[in-house]
Amino acid sequence: MSIQWKPPEQRLSPQAVKLWRISAILMNVIGFLILAVLLILDSIYGWKTWVGWILWGVTAISVLYAVWDIFIQPSWLYKHWYYDVNEEFLQLKRGALTKVHQIIPMAKVQSVTTNQGPLMRKYGLYSVSVGTMGSSHEIPALPEEVALALRHQIASYARINEVDE
Amino acid sequence: MIDMKRHHPLSMLWSLWKLLKNSFAIILFLFVFRQGSESQWLYYGRIAFYAGISIGIVSIIWKWFTSRYTADDKAFHIYSGVFNRTRRTIPYTKVQNVNRHTTLFHRLFNVTSIRFETGIKGEDATFQLHVVSLSEAEQLEKIVAGYMAKDAEAVEATEEHDISDAVKAMEEGVEQLRPVITDEAMSLPAKEKQERVVHYHSTRKDIFKASFTSLSFLVLIPVLISLYSWVKDFFPDEEVTESLLLTWLDSWWIASLMILVLLIISIALGIVRTFVKYGNFQITSDAKRIYISKGMMEQTSFSILKERVQAVKITQSPMKRLLGLAEVELTTAGSLGESEQEVNSLYPFLPVKQAYTMIEEILPSYQVTQEMEKLPRISLWLRLLKPSWGWIMITGLLWYFKPFVFGQKHAWWMISAILLVWIATSRVMDFFHTRYILHQNFIQLRTGALTSTLFISKREKVIEVQITRNVLQRWFGVASIHTVNRAKPVLHHRAHDIPLDTAESFQLWYMGRTQDVQTR
Repeated sequence: MSIQWKPPEQRLSPQAVKLWRISAILMNVIGFLILAVLLILDSIYGWKTWVGWILWGVTAISVLYAVWDIFIQPSWLYKHWYYDVNEEFLQLKRGALTKVHQIIPMAKVQSVTTNQGPLMRKYGLYSVSVGTMGSSHEIPALPEEVALALRHQIASYARINEVDE
Repeated sequence: MIDMKRHHPLSMLWSLWKLLKNSFAIILFLFVFRQGSESQWLYYGRIAFYAGISIGIVSIIWKWFTSRYTADDKAFHIYSGVFNRTRRTIPYTKVQNVNRHTTLFHRLFNVTSIRFETGIKGEDATFQLHVVSLSEAEQLEKIVAGYMAKDAEAVEATEEHDISDAVKAMEEGVEQLRPVITDEAMSLPAKEKQERVVHYHSTRKDIFKASFTSLSFLVLIPVLISLYSWVKDFFPDEEVTESLLLTWLDSWWIASLMILVLLIISIALGIVRTFVKYGNFQITSDAKRIYISKGMMEQTSFSILKERVQAVKITQSPMKRLLGLAEVELTTAGSLGESEQEVNSLYPFLPVKQAYTMIEEILPSYQVTQEMEKLPRISLWLRLLKPSWGWIMITGLLWYFKPFVFGQKHAWWMISAILLVWIATSRVMDFFHTRYILHQNFIQLRTGALTSTLFISKREKVIEVQITRNVLQRWFGVASIHTVNRAKPVLHHRAHDIPLDTAESFQLWYMGRTQDVQTR
């Protein structure tokens, strides 16, 4: 019997915004350092003019991107990320500009993995990735107990075998 | 069912043949091109070659001695190695389709090769016998088929006696087959033969017609052009060329005769090619399986359990649309062979009407709805409004470099304009080709600008869906839908700019899939 459909409501950990912001800052700092080195080298060795143009152009774009990456994207990503899991389906709904809604039948799930990077460990967060026959889907930044429970839950739901396989 | 045994002895010859074929270039280089040469490295090269070949031959014989296989009531077991023993088990339930390929080599010795394909990823996905006697191939195929059929039946009917009946029937089938093997004749039991329905057998007329859709006679054009430039190069003096052209035109009948001869030759070549490739094309089916076989010189046959068909695709290129033909393709989860052996396509040149009826004939569980829904007008505007990043980028590059094409100074904006018109036209054409319908547990999507593809699948065969809406689509109240089916590689299918309520009902339709799914 089919379960009454409702849009996914589970959210990521609110800590995620902080995590993403910090990692974005780190990445951007590294990026700007590389750019700065290149610009200094350019002024010392006097490379061709178009190289300078491109470097300044890239810098301008990087500044805009950094603003987006650090201040806007993390909160938007968190605000628009929903997931849900029941006996039959895993649902992922995300995206502020382009809205994406994915529906994955539990029976087609082949693997569940929890991952934790060094930054994530600091915040006690895990990401859960779900592998199917076609692709792999990731739910980023869940609190530890939620992530581990979800992994367990998906693993037990995915035990159902369809005749097709 | 089949006791532990080694591969057919001829498979050593087959491997040897392949070894020689692969080292053909080296042989040619070492012994033909440099025949007279006495240089040092060539001497060592030849020694290395002899050593390599001997190692190859020894390893072929060694492999033959050390690898065995058996087929019991549930799976194939493949044993290989002496020091490193590996044992591979391929359960029949995992076999998606069976491929048989008979090359000239095989025909010479009255044997064949057989390949059982599974949906598993990686190297071990298939069980292949490069050389196998016809009777054994038949037997193996029957074992797998019997098991697959039994498996399907067991799920359908829960009553126990059904299963035991099926087992009995299967065992009988094998019993019946045994005397046949000793007779060395490869006829199926008479009962089976009656059950097989021939759905299509290519006639000469069909293939004749089909050979025109490949447009192979257009090869003539480059031939003529290169001929002309050759003549021009030969007589660099323009006066000569002109006078030659004039004399050519004078004797126009020579020119037209030449063109006619070339045309006939290229058409004949096209026909021969199509005959060799698609001659003897036959589609048959029994209650459980579909069989496709084709080829005049090299024969290839393919069989699949009906339930294992993941989706059906009907493709029409512009030329085929003109002639009212279509290509029907079955999508399977097993890997397909090398491109030249691909036989999953039912027949590339079926009349459209026949294509639809044939799908229902061979796959009774499929229903093809001819009437499908069109896109709303608003999506046409959306498509024309949508920025084309490719065009913007190419135009930017053209504007920056302003290349001279055919000595034209203004070529850059002309190219850009042509590109824009082309993009717009293909978007409009795609709009008119796009059709969709959800009917019971079927989904039908048709898309494509020049070549249109109609995709038909059942919801239990769709392994994943996705609905996306970008900013423009949200303004216009439309959405894109995306389905994923099992295949190798995974089959993605998208339909863009369908109305929002349809996308929502698509989602509900998909979430209702648990009603049709059989679990075990």
